[in-house]
Amino acid sequence: MTGPAEPEPFEDINQAVREDWVAGTTPYERVREVVSRTYAPTDADTLADHAHTSPKTARKHLNTLADDGFVTTETGANGATLYRRSAESLVVEQAADILSEVSTEELRDRIAEMRDQIGEFQQEYGVESPEELAVDQTNALLDESTRTGEEPDEETIREWKTTRRNLAFANAALSIANAEKFVDMES
Amino acid sequence: MTGGQTESHSLRGPIDRPALLAIRDLFNDNEPLATATLDDFLNPRALKVEYDDGLQSAERSRIDVQWTTRNDYKYHYTDSGGVNLRWGRHPHNGGYIQVPGPEHYHPPPDASSDPSTVEESCIKQQPETLVTRAVIKLWRAAYHADSLTPLNSGRNPP
Repeated sequence: MTGPAEPEPFEDINQAVREDWVAGTTPYERVREVVSRTYAPTDADTLADHAHTSPKTARKHLNTLADDGFVTTETGANGATLYRRSAESLVVEQAADILSEVSTEELRDRIAEMRDQIGEFQQEYGVESPEELAVDQTNALLDESTRTGEEPDEETIREWKTTRRNLAFANAALSIANAEKFVDMES
Repeated sequence: MTGGQTESHSLRGPIDRPALLAIRDLFNDNEPLATATLDDFLNPRALKVEYDDGLQSAERSRIDVQWTTRNDYKYHYTDSGGVNLRWGRHPHNGGYIQVPGPEHYHPPPDASSDPSTVEESCIKQQPETLVTRAVIKLWRAAYHADSLTPLNSGRNPP
């Protein structure tokens, strides 16, 4: 079997991959990539640091991305502009990715399945949301006597949050598919 | 497959499908021996990266990747020879006594979670593109060196 090429010698893995990334991309591409999965409001200096470019360059590209609707901005406590990925842009992107591979029928089935799964979590733990579950857990730890039945762990809370988030993407995909069907009929 | 002891420290936030897609594409574009797929396309909990070869004497291997919306992660290596190891990032409240920050390494052969054996990770940077590129390059360095040492030394000497 032919193996991959042997990597060039390197003294520090962080520096080696940073140099590869910087050599193969433009500052705009790196800023876009970094902010595309920045979900908490973050200042331009931090984003510039992660994208390995200057704050001035990062700010310029972030403002362009904000004009395009890819990024949303808000003003932080100290007056600085904070940036994060636009939720709308992220949802549309994920919906398009889903629709490129999954049929409407399959999407419907899987949405029903994910809804059932969330319903089962709600029933099993007697709370509406994973956030409530986390609060319940803390209270149970503080008061041993209230402990009853199933004890959800961090894994369950993450599973619930993950399914809820992926259900939101799937629902958006189905809505777009349905909307497109009727828009097409009009033409 | 988690390997080793159960993890007492958890990743923060839900698994991030958009990040898993980006990581999938990096493995598929940059590592000819690897085929990366989501464990469930619509509701993924992990990315499975199957390698057509393993490190040292192993004939096959796999890296399971989890990445959350809060940039916590696990890259768990397992192979046909029974070797497990894992790079991770999540809070441990000082539980891993040799590890100053959230980035850490569960060493082979069993990806030990014993607080005294978990090491500081050689991977320090945050964007998933750099963490993934580091894992790909470290795997290759170990593959050609026929040794697990480069995986967390972070060096590939000439």
